[in-house]
Amino acid sequence: MSLRELMHNGILYLDGGMGTLLQAGGMEPGEAPERWGLQHPDQITVIHRSYFDAGSHLVLANTFGCSPLKYDADTLEKMVGNAVACARKAAEESTSSQEKYVALDIGPTGQLLKPFGPLPFEEAVSAFAQVVRIGVSHGVDCIFIETMNDSYETKAAVLAAKENADCPVLVSNAYGADGKLMTGAPPEAMVAMLEGLGVDALGVNCSLGPDSLRDVVMRYLKTASIPVLMKPNAGLPVVENGITRYPMEPERFAELMAPLIQEGLRIVGGCCGTTPAYIRALRQKTGRLQPPPLTEKTETLVSSRSRCIRFEDRPLLIGERINPTGKKRFKQALMEGDIPYILSEGIAQEERGADLLDVNVGIPDIDEEAMLTCVVEELQAITDLPLQLDTANPAAMAQALRRYNGKAMINSVNGREEVMEAVFPLARKYGGVLVALTLDEHGIPDTAQGRLAIAKKILQQAEAFGIQRKDLVFDPLTMTVSTDGRAALTTLEAVRLIREETGCATVLGVSNISFGLPAREVIGHSFFLMALQAGLSAAIMNPKSDAMMGAYHSFLALSNLDENCASYVAFASGLPAMQAVSGTPDRKKPDAPQGEKGLRYAVTKGLKLEASRYAADALAAGADPMALVNQEILPALDDVGRGFEEKTVFLPQLMMSAEAAESAFGEIKRCARSGTRQSHRCTIVLATVRGDVHDIGKNIVRLLLENYGFDVRDLGRDVPPETIVDEVKALHAPICGLSALMTTTVPAMEETIQRLHNEAPWCRIMVGGAVLTASYAERIHADAYAKDAMAAVRCAERLEQASAEVREDGER
Amino acid sequence: MMDLHLEALYPGRFDRSEILRYAMMPASQTPPETLPLEECLAMVGSGFACHAVWRVFPVRREEDALDLTFTRVASVSLRRWMEGSESAALFAVTAGVEMERLILRAKAVSPLHGLLMHAIGAERVEAACDELCSRIAARMPEYDLCPRFSPGYGDLPLAIQQEIFRALDCQRLLGLTLTREMLMQPGKSVTGIIGLRRREKP
Repeated sequence: MSLRELMHNGILYLDGGMGTLLQAGGMEPGEAPERWGLQHPDQITVIHRSYFDAGSHLVLANTFGCSPLKYDADTLEKMVGNAVACARKAAEESTSSQEKYVALDIGPTGQLLKPFGPLPFEEAVSAFAQVVRIGVSHGVDCIFIETMNDSYETKAAVLAAKENADCPVLVSNAYGADGKLMTGAPPEAMVAMLEGLGVDALGVNCSLGPDSLRDVVMRYLKTASIPVLMKPNAGLPVVENGITRYPMEPERFAELMAPLIQEGLRIVGGCCGTTPAYIRALRQKTGRLQPPPLTEKTETLVSSRSRCIRFEDRPLLIGERINPTGKKRFKQALMEGDIPYILSEGIAQEERGADLLDVNVGIPDIDEEAMLTCVVEELQAITDLPLQLDTANPAAMAQALRRYNGKAMINSVNGREEVMEAVFPLARKYGGVLVALTLDEHGIPDTAQGRLAIAKKILQQAEAFGIQRKDLVFDPLTMTVSTDGRAALTTLEAVRLIREETGCATVLGVSNISFGLPAREVIGHSFFLMALQAGLSAAIMNPKSDAMMGAYHSFLALSNLDENCASYVAFASGLPAMQAVSGTPDRKKPDAPQGEKGLRYAVTKGLKLEASRYAADALAAGADPMALVNQEILPALDDVGRGFEEKTVFLPQLMMSAEAAESAFGEIKRCARSGTRQSHRCTIVLATVRGDVHDIGKNIVRLLLENYGFDVRDLGRDVPPETIVDEVKALHAPICGLSALMTTTVPAMEETIQRLHNEAPWCRIMVGGAVLTASYAERIHADAYAKDAMAAVRCAERLEQASAEVREDGER
Repeated sequence: MMDLHLEALYPGRFDRSEILRYAMMPASQTPPETLPLEECLAMVGSGFACHAVWRVFPVRREEDALDLTFTRVASVSLRRWMEGSESAALFAVTAGVEMERLILRAKAVSPLHGLLMHAIGAERVEAACDELCSRIAARMPEYDLCPRFSPGYGDLPLAIQQEIFRALDCQRLLGLTLTREMLMQPGKSVTGIIGLRRREKP
């Protein structure tokens, strides 16, 4: 039987632990097994052979720690080649009768991926890819990715395997006692993502014994349609006389595994503390068992790093606000690359109860591929909600899907041949739930039957392409009721029909119904209710609308989907009308302006909302924007800055004032025609140096510098010297500000300074950060040292002045 | 001795003045009413969990160094700090990826929220360290605990982090990783050594 047949039709036996046996063979604790194996190939072969002799079908070559992040290319080639050869030799030498296979073993890189760590996703993919290619060239039978405790790193490894190997890919994750990966994924989220990526088997290893991992494995079996694997430790370790020992005996281990095989587990082995004796016991105990056949699970699942959402538990809300259509402010944010504004839209929708977020950043003249990927990466760092990627640009969709940490919704495909041809391969490669619009080359059918026919066509072609029915959600399209009186009825009928005839879930962008009508929310929320009643599975809507959320919570309560009306009550208590009744003040609403306390007062006291309102009111009353800046905002900032220097005002207050000033500037920018905010100040390039991810201090400096009118180009954190030099040269920036928080990253700062002095001699460099002092700054040849954010402003003013004088001298 | 202990720590109530101190606001100052501290605390929640791993090692004093069993260090300051300790508890505590997410999220709201969340993260992980110390003390009643000492203090090199990570299996057990620059990720994490002095019989 082939490896695939073995795991589909019977039980595939894996090997057990390696570490204990290696140490028994003379390896020192702390030594790298792959390095030791290079010097002791015979001992490695003996261990593998003992596993084959005990009945293992598949042993993992000694390549767990092989990574280009640790070894150079030559060493890596030798290590992997040697490890695979040892396992092959063992297979030939073993006299036992079962089929024997060798896996390339892939473990974690040891680095946390961005955004929580320093390793970029694509670097992780190429590091894994390098090992996969070597393994494939030495003829491994499959790729075994194991002990991964981060979903994103798991995805990087799977992509590397799928893109560089044709053999089966098995994936095993390490769970904590809380039943989640270290970065938060529950088993269902891993199943959703990994099945989407097309792996051949998935499951768990390490961390705990077969007893403690039982629940996690049961959740895998309940969710997965493909073979599930389990490779647990021999219980929890104890240390006796300095030696770690696993107390669970082989027979007990096998006894605990057997019932799971009867539940459907079909790939079994051991991890830490297990030896060939465990595999032998396992074979004896379970060899005659036949796991029940694999069944296709039909639930529609989407996932994020830390959450898995099931369609059909209740109707889902997909927040529509991350979308520039008809939103001037959002368009402006996209054009300016104002990511925080976009993220704040995401946060607000999550707080209002969205289950997923639609992400659409399509405007003319934008690099949509880069922007969509950037927004997806930033959003998935801060929210647990799964995302619905919304673009008609296949390249942008491909890139965003690739970087998405989970199983996304793909918005959208439709019945047009060329669209299906472009989108289906993406869904097939990266996984995802497709939103399928019921339109095709001939447009949108006028009848529900016509839309059903397109749905059936899409379904048929998707299935022929290898996309499963459960991964399609149909959107029968909301048309404007003001232009066609039957529009709503047709759509609702199509929702009902598609559900009945295909069994698939449905989704509607409900807001479209009200185009061209007054009081859009009134008719919009009524339509939403009707659609829910017709069986709609998910709505793309505005969670910030009380009317829409009210309709939703009412529907849940009235449909017996909200126990004790708890979520309705929680929602209602936040309504403005309820707050007026109960007298709870709306904390977002600023106090009434008081005559003597103007803009200057608001900025001094750090009152953000008041500051923007004073500015707006003053401008509306015809105030001169320049006068507001020079007579109100800047003097207030100077007062606060001086207070900070004299230690009567402290950092949080300084920042509150800076943010208040920023919001007032925002009003001035918005109301004035152009160029009011004086930008005669020079450009400053700002960055935290390579290897350092601390950016709180740098962000504070940026905020203040912007307040004082400097044109700041912020390159972010962990920025390589060449990027900083290139940007300074491109902008001919007279000042560059560098930040480092750790002694270990000061060398990167020094290197950056040196390169700037050589390649951009006009640029003056100011530095700051926890480990720096004035004398240290001088030693690494910085031009100035700023001990805090205010000092950075003073410093920049001084350097700007000096640079202007130099320029004038030059001109003379 | 030398068992590897894995603990979930719930530091519980927030120490607001400590948080403000981390945000560079001295305890003597009354924070402004509109400071969004409570909003940030609500994002974290009082049920926030940190995770820790610890292990006790025998300590041998050599002429110019300390043999900590898992490594040998020539640190004068640690040697002085551990005066009289015959063993030491080595530990790692982390507020995990969840705190990193909260910090990124707060930064997206405003730089001030970012500053406050950083401060909260620092307070949480320090409070978790305190909680861990009292658990270790309870587990080892015959010993007095020296205050904890971390890599980078005095002349104890940051490079010792590598040995600590190996000795505690930090990557596998806590999901902690170490960059080339010896920076721990997730960032709100602490490693350290606690000297254990056998208590004199009364």
